[in-house]
Amino acid sequence: MTFPPTSGGSGRATAGRAATDVATPAVERLPGAAPTSSAAGLPLPIRKRRASQFDGGRGYVSEQEWRSRGVSTTMKTLHLILLVLLVVVGVGPMLLLAKFAVTPTQDIIRSPLAVFPHGMRWQNISEAWNDVQISRYFLNTIWLAAGSWFVQVLVATTGGYVLSVLRPAWGRIVNGLVIATLFVPSVVLLVPLYLTILNPPVVGTSLINSFFAVWLPSGASAFNVVLVTRFFDSLPREVFEAAKVDGASSYRLFWSVVLPMSKPILGVVSVFATIASWKDFLWPMLVLKDPSKQPLSVRLPAIASQTDLGVFLASLAISTLIPVVFFLIFQRLFLSGAGLGGAVKG
Amino acid sequence: MSATGAGRRRSPVTWAKRGGLSSVVFALPVLVVFGVFSWWPIVRSVVMSFQKTNLVGSPRWVGWHNFVFVLTDPDLPTAIRNTLYFALLALVIGYPVPLVTAVLISSVRRYKGLYSVLAYLPVVVPPVVAVLLWKFFYDGSAQGVFNTILRWVGLGPYSWLSSPSLAMPSLVIEATWAAAGGTVIIYLAALIGVPDELYDAAEVDGAGIWQRVWHVTMPQLRGVLLITFILQIIGTVQVFLEPYLFTDGGPANATLTILLMIYNYAFARSLGGNYGAATALSVMLAAFLAVLSLVYFKLTSRWSKS
Amino acid sequence: MKYSRTTLAFAIVGVLALSGTLVACSSGDKNNNSGSSTTLDPNTKVTLNVVGLLPGSKPEAQQALADLVTQFQTANPNITVKTHDYEWKATTFAADLAGGTLPTVFEIPFTDAKTLIANQQISDMQAYLSQLSYASSFNKNLLQYGQGDNGDVYAIPAKSVYAIGLHYNRDLFTQAGLDPSKPPTTWDEVRADAKAIATKTGQAGFAQMSQDATGGWQLTVDTYARGGRMEDGKKATLTNDATKAALQFLKDLRWTDNSMGANFSYDWSGINQAFAAGKIGMYTSGQDVYTSLVQTNNINPKSYGLTMIPLSGGDSGVLGGGTMAAVSSKATNNEKAAAVKWIDFYYLSKYTNQAAAVKNAQTQVASKQPVGTPELPIFSQAQYQQYEDWIKPYVNVPLDQMTTFTSNVFSAKLVNEPAVATQDVYKSLDPVVQAVLTNKDANIDQLLSDANSKAQRAIDSAG
Repeated sequence: MTFPPTSGGSGRATAGRAATDVATPAVERLPGAAPTSSAAGLPLPIRKRRASQFDGGRGYVSEQEWRSRGVSTTMKTLHLILLVLLVVVGVGPMLLLAKFAVTPTQDIIRSPLAVFPHGMRWQNISEAWNDVQISRYFLNTIWLAAGSWFVQVLVATTGGYVLSVLRPAWGRIVNGLVIATLFVPSVVLLVPLYLTILNPPVVGTSLINSFFAVWLPSGASAFNVVLVTRFFDSLPREVFEAAKVDGASSYRLFWSVVLPMSKPILGVVSVFATIASWKDFLWPMLVLKDPSKQPLSVRLPAIASQTDLGVFLASLAISTLIPVVFFLIFQRLFLSGAGLGGAVKG
Repeated sequence: MSATGAGRRRSPVTWAKRGGLSSVVFALPVLVVFGVFSWWPIVRSVVMSFQKTNLVGSPRWVGWHNFVFVLTDPDLPTAIRNTLYFALLALVIGYPVPLVTAVLISSVRRYKGLYSVLAYLPVVVPPVVAVLLWKFFYDGSAQGVFNTILRWVGLGPYSWLSSPSLAMPSLVIEATWAAAGGTVIIYLAALIGVPDELYDAAEVDGAGIWQRVWHVTMPQLRGVLLITFILQIIGTVQVFLEPYLFTDGGPANATLTILLMIYNYAFARSLGGNYGAATALSVMLAAFLAVLSLVYFKLTSRWSKS
Repeated sequence: MKYSRTTLAFAIVGVLALSGTLVACSSGDKNNNSGSSTTLDPNTKVTLNVVGLLPGSKPEAQQALADLVTQFQTANPNITVKTHDYEWKATTFAADLAGGTLPTVFEIPFTDAKTLIANQQISDMQAYLSQLSYASSFNKNLLQYGQGDNGDVYAIPAKSVYAIGLHYNRDLFTQAGLDPSKPPTTWDEVRADAKAIATKTGQAGFAQMSQDATGGWQLTVDTYARGGRMEDGKKATLTNDATKAALQFLKDLRWTDNSMGANFSYDWSGINQAFAAGKIGMYTSGQDVYTSLVQTNNINPKSYGLTMIPLSGGDSGVLGGGTMAAVSSKATNNEKAAAVKWIDFYYLSKYTNQAAAVKNAQTQVASKQPVGTPELPIFSQAQYQQYEDWIKPYVNVPLDQMTTFTSNVFSAKLVNEPAVATQDVYKSLDPVVQAVLTNKDANIDQLLSDANSKAQRAIDSAG
């Protein structure tokens, strides 16, 4: 038996093809819209409910096989096992955390898996919020995320605009230099960047303990620039030509034409930027030494040995709540970005 | 958008009018941010690896001294060994799991969204929170969460993070838990792109489900699989957060990784960081990863072509 | 898209030059040394940043500090004091120093002062110090830590002058059938008591720090107590018999008796937290840890006991150390003058001036802070005893539970911490302690010999 050979080309080409296939639906489809056709041009099953963005194609099990009892039962059992595993392993730890957040410390230590043998302790949460001042570190985290988001969007959109639309003579070099940084592991930057923050050019005073020490370096993300450049590359040039004929300056073109068309990619970049900022640990720990300026990620480990266990776990729970809720609301955006990101990396 | 002729000088006014100025203006954020916070630090890193910097006076050139210092550090072989061990464990435990999960989820007909969300949920938890939570789970006393669960099936309490042999696997398990979901989504996205005709043709040729998965799905995923493989290696070789927060390199340097060594050189010495050693080690690591990636891509492109 | 080679060249040069010049215009040193007098003009306004309490200290402790600041500012209306929470850790101090995020007046352990002086990171305070009436009464042994080569005082002995003590939980003793007023006096008794506690209460009978250089610190404590030393001039002597015996002791308690519980990654604040929570029967640490146990860890005063660390063998001694106040070398002369006033008020005046001692004690008591935690004298022993008399009415720490310590510590031989590359030597010993506590087959001789080479390396590069 021979099967059709896989399409030729190197592994990277294949990935690239998969990337384009993925990129177009993810970019063109607005969140929430029902898919009508996949990139390959084949009709998808028409669904009455909102379908997952990962639906597409017929998969390795045919319609006929689904109707047969043997296959159907096996597949359904496998799916059930997977579901149970996902819930226990994926969600379990978080459910436990939620439980610990309202359990008295002694119970957590002595019988962690018992279900509230001595009742709940809601004060854990209020103490975490007030005494431990999670509220302040929370605010810091949000501030840091907002500023980083802004810097990243600014750098990526203006940079992508220059590289993709304006295309000056020296654009090639800049593009090359930006992409080159993708191949440099971030550890190389750690020490010199720290010294730069201690002694920044022009400004004169050290940026330690200033949020700028976190905001500004976050903008140097080649990934974002590449993402946005590629997106701008895919925009139809006719629109730009038309605008130019109408007498639009570069600034006008950017603000009124390119940016409005970029909402999908801005959504993806924003999600990446926000997640990256929320997760950031080492860098804020190095440059934000003043406890009152530190975000949650830096503060939580530092107070572990000074905080009552129940209150500490409540603090952890509060810190997890926002990203999780955010994710549940904006699922499609997150997941399309995650899939896109991986494909673009190829 | 201007195509310039070769070598023709224009007056500044023409240049500005033709859009030259706006290009520079728009490029300023990218140039300044990358210049100050990316390009210059990269150059400086290499420069510093040949200097002795102590922040009080000006840096001194010391030639290869830093590299020799790092290479003769008795902890370096341990760090290298541990880092490779982490990467290997992460490959064995963490590479197949997302693949199997994604392939299985892709066959779910109705609730794919639910499965994707469940799989991705651990990725959304901030890494610091995850580590601190798991650190509590890994408590070595008999009442520790994992020890309690294992007690139900009769397995004795383990010291987890206090055991030199169990510490690294404990880290890998948590790291896999936190990261697998992201890879699942990447694979799911790639799986959409598998053309239906291939499955149809395979069915016509009489292939069963398993054979379809093995001979159609896997080869179609090859590109993405190759990429995630090298990305995982590059990522795990630079692991820092888990060794730092879980065990600070312990117990007895069992979880000391290269990144942790770099951090210790620069930031963990009581009376002044050895920035030369830190940058020397990071430069060596970067060079190693660059060579590794080059070799990898050469090998895999040859493999795919054949 | 064609481009001229000239443009290309300009572009590359431009980018690099741009980044290069931006960095070359480095910040100048903004050290403003206006004013040459060493006393502060009462009309000159100065803002002084100083070290405050440990992070996580209870609101009452913060209140007591705030009250003290108010008192100082009332007496010195031209000085504004800003306090900053701070915990000294070997692994973060350097970064703080480099980042310039330490307050102007900060605290350092005795052992760090000479290196900071050599690195020109702290100011020469001799001229300012001489204004204090008691400047010549300092305990000479303590003063020498903070003196430069020229004999000037840079760092001033300020607080927490300690000898190591053995802290024990009286409740656990009682539950284990031991007499809390008869704590162990030999290492064998420590072992036996630990075993009893572990068996009868399920808690760790004895615990040892092992992280962040505290592992090496406490191992040095154990070494001194058995007559050994870690350094001989510029030579590392980690492989001495006393250290081996100390490690063997830990090994026996951990693996043979199983009396050390299940957590072997304690650092200074972690072990305090566990002790205050009743999870540890005995451990060694500085004698003044009680203050922190109250301010940060909610300890039950009735359960606290303090005794001497067992000494065995000739040349055995108790490790002693302490904290100095130092002023950043970047401080202006006005800041230095203000600093000396603050140091006098906050750290020292209570030992030499009765009114100050009483006022300080009253302020602490008003916020339910511990008064009377035993310390070693910064000046003379006679002075210290007088201080104790002054504050006697306000003492609220259970001194009667510490008598076996307080009645013996003054006659004990105090040994200073290793003088060269102290924290690096300690850090090289952390893995040794961790290995012994977590690996049943740890080879003590091999581990010590490896640590010795690392320590020697550190000593050599400290110059």
